[in-house]
Amino acid sequence: MKTEFITIRNIETTAKVVGTKIDAVRIKDIIKKGARVYVDGKIGVSGAIGDIPDDELIEKAVENLETGIEYPYELEKNLVDHRNYSDFSMSGEELLKVTEEILEELKTNYDKFLFSEKVSVKEKVVQMRNSEGLDLEYRDAWFELGLILKENSSANLFDGFLQYSGRSFDKQKFWNFNKGYLEAYDNLLALPEGDKLPVFVLEAYELNDFLNKSLNGERYSNGSSILSGKLDEQLFNDKITFGQNFDSAVTFEPFFDHEGVVLKNDRVPLIQSGKFINVFTDKKTASTFDLPHTGAAEGSYDGVPTLTTTQLKFETDSKDIKSTLNGKLAIFALVSAGGDFTPDGSFAAPVQAALLFDGEKFIGKLPEFTMRSNLWAMLGEDYIGTFDNPFYSIENSKMQGFYMTIVR
Amino acid sequence: MFKFPENLYVDVRIEETFETKISFKKMILQEQKVRNNKGAFVRVYDGNRWYYASTTDVDAVQDQIDTLAKMAKPNPEINNHPIVRQFEVHKDQLIQYKHNSITDVPIAEKKAMLERYINLVNDETIVHHTSYYVDNKIIKSIYSSKGTDVTFDKQTCGIRIGLELSNGESKDQTSMSRAGCLFEDLFELEDFINDEIKKNIDFVKHAKPVEPGIYTVLLSPLATGVFTHESFGHKSESDFMVGDETMKAEWAIGKTVGTPILTIIDDGQVKGNGYVPYDDEGTKGKKTYIVTDGVLTGRLHSTSTSALLEEELTGNARATSFEFEPIVRMTTTYIEKGHRPLADIVAEIDNGIYVDNIKHGSGMSTFTIAPARAYKIENGKITTPVKISVVTGNVFETLGEVDAVSEEFDLLSFVGGGCGKMEQYPLPVGFGGPYTRVKKLNVQ
Repeated sequence: MKTEFITIRNIETTAKVVGTKIDAVRIKDIIKKGARVYVDGKIGVSGAIGDIPDDELIEKAVENLETGIEYPYELEKNLVDHRNYSDFSMSGEELLKVTEEILEELKTNYDKFLFSEKVSVKEKVVQMRNSEGLDLEYRDAWFELGLILKENSSANLFDGFLQYSGRSFDKQKFWNFNKGYLEAYDNLLALPEGDKLPVFVLEAYELNDFLNKSLNGERYSNGSSILSGKLDEQLFNDKITFGQNFDSAVTFEPFFDHEGVVLKNDRVPLIQSGKFINVFTDKKTASTFDLPHTGAAEGSYDGVPTLTTTQLKFETDSKDIKSTLNGKLAIFALVSAGGDFTPDGSFAAPVQAALLFDGEKFIGKLPEFTMRSNLWAMLGEDYIGTFDNPFYSIENSKMQGFYMTIVR
Repeated sequence: MFKFPENLYVDVRIEETFETKISFKKMILQEQKVRNNKGAFVRVYDGNRWYYASTTDVDAVQDQIDTLAKMAKPNPEINNHPIVRQFEVHKDQLIQYKHNSITDVPIAEKKAMLERYINLVNDETIVHHTSYYVDNKIIKSIYSSKGTDVTFDKQTCGIRIGLELSNGESKDQTSMSRAGCLFEDLFELEDFINDEIKKNIDFVKHAKPVEPGIYTVLLSPLATGVFTHESFGHKSESDFMVGDETMKAEWAIGKTVGTPILTIIDDGQVKGNGYVPYDDEGTKGKKTYIVTDGVLTGRLHSTSTSALLEEELTGNARATSFEFEPIVRMTTTYIEKGHRPLADIVAEIDNGIYVDNIKHGSGMSTFTIAPARAYKIENGKITTPVKISVVTGNVFETLGEVDAVSEEFDLLSFVGGGCGKMEQYPLPVGFGGPYTRVKKLNVQ
């Protein structure tokens, strides 16, 4: 019998903020453990929250073998890889002091807003080890600030947010960026003229989600993906390289998948220079459909590895937003909630909060609008580029620009 | 049971959960597991600041209380604090599922039922499908330094079938789900599943892109539920209002916010996803009329917001799990049924859209509904299927655009997904309502 264990530990101290004041302090220390056993091509799983002895988990996983779920794949073996990104440290007392200082500055200089939500210090440890010599460990710690912002005069639930997430925190840089951002709210502007305007977003979630569905190897092979049958075709703008990214330095997630697979250079390109070269797979999908295995298994701590979604990222392909815009002004879509793609790739999303910017500096606040496009245009002729996020907000994130049809 | 420190308010919520998950891809079993977990959330309040801890070590709850108490500043007047005074105190053992517990149903029966339904998914247009059965039983115990000592159970179970369809270049991904409180509630779903399969196949074969624009939109009970939840439900959560004079004025009780045919209710006593016999602070679940005949008549509260806004408790303090503190959330939120037959309401629409099934919604100043299945309405008849990315409306205007609600009415529960608010997702909620006609919505 072969055995495998996954342990996830999340430690967190959070200052909860209500009305620009610390309302609560929350401490968390949650351990989740899962076990898998492999016998005669079958898998059994179990799990529990809390620090449960391994023997108990194995006993339950053995019982679970009765389900007869097949797993005739070779386990990862003979690899020790421990990666530690947990240099950041801030005690609970320090967190409260930093939070109070930030709130005091906001109350003093930006009293036209109310700020609520949370500031946290988070630590995460994910381990995966098995009886075949696999021993993987990802350890991380970071500072996270997520404050929703509401103008006093507004009847909206919120009008924007202050955000920061990173493995260090530089107050000076934080204020240098956010002063310009908050002051832009004082300058109310109309949307620029034109039916199609450059719109920039931080991490285009709906697009990423749609591509995640479309590049799933199982969906591709079954014919339900919009990309089915198009492998090896030049589909998108030739600047675009997009694929699996398991680099923990970038993702703040483990560098291995749920089958313990560690990728060469932590990456597998799926779109290379606009050409569709691969779909993502776990061991089962690769075997069933005779596809390259790309190490994209997902699952819960106590579950059977499966193929659902994976960590996909655009590679940076453009350097400087301001020079790319070449004197034009652009829209930064700050809050865009609830948009979606239709299965055939049409996209629409309301933009509830937006700022006008020149690629570097914010100029003013724009009214709400709806933006519209489709997959082929967004990643084709209307694609502006993927840039390293120039703002002091989310460490290692990307900013993307697209020409979008504006519905006023 | 616990030694509560003096001069502080303390409450403890212990959650013992039982969960089953059985999942298939096509006819192949992917996962079959049962979870039994226990965790606790502890709160200490000194009148100025709350101190929270969540732990998986339930035997160490007393240690957590003592640790948090050391962080707090003892306050001899804590029991006179308006928030502490506001807490309801109950002593109750409300165990309703002793004799019909989902924990007593053999897992083989759960699996066999799901397999029976999967067997109905059989058409060449459906190129892939994933299915699961899940159940969840939770026993919650809430204790407080004011004397609350409440233990209650609740349970839900359900199935979800995800379909992937392909008809040439036309693709679709959609799902269907039903849930209930008893295992028996999931029996005899064959007609529902067959009907959904038929509609989805027709949709992928015939749906055309919609011509974007402003339309009169008819919402199904499911879409009405999401509309109610997103367009107005979130705005009735009063934590958004505390300390905010603009919001208090905008949403003042007595203000007309909708047409006179509109009554919106949040009811924690409805059995299903939003059932809250006691909320996560130990307040009894209640029925709250948020809007009555178009006029704002109530809002949803935790103990803290009810004390700060000087309004009655409503039993809406909920947490997604023992890992989080209770915040103001909806339970089962719905528009009350009207008096007009659906057929009459449809017959009055010359050029509109019918939203039958949805993927998701969101509830900002501009709320959204992303339809999974929608149809044109032409000359009083529901006709061609149309593909729509998103339907949007302005929350401050849309309730005034509701001009018909049907006598047909349905409250629904599902598995998969739920309501998200900041970091807490997914929270099971119930919703539904009548067929609802909105004069003007933006369809893209």
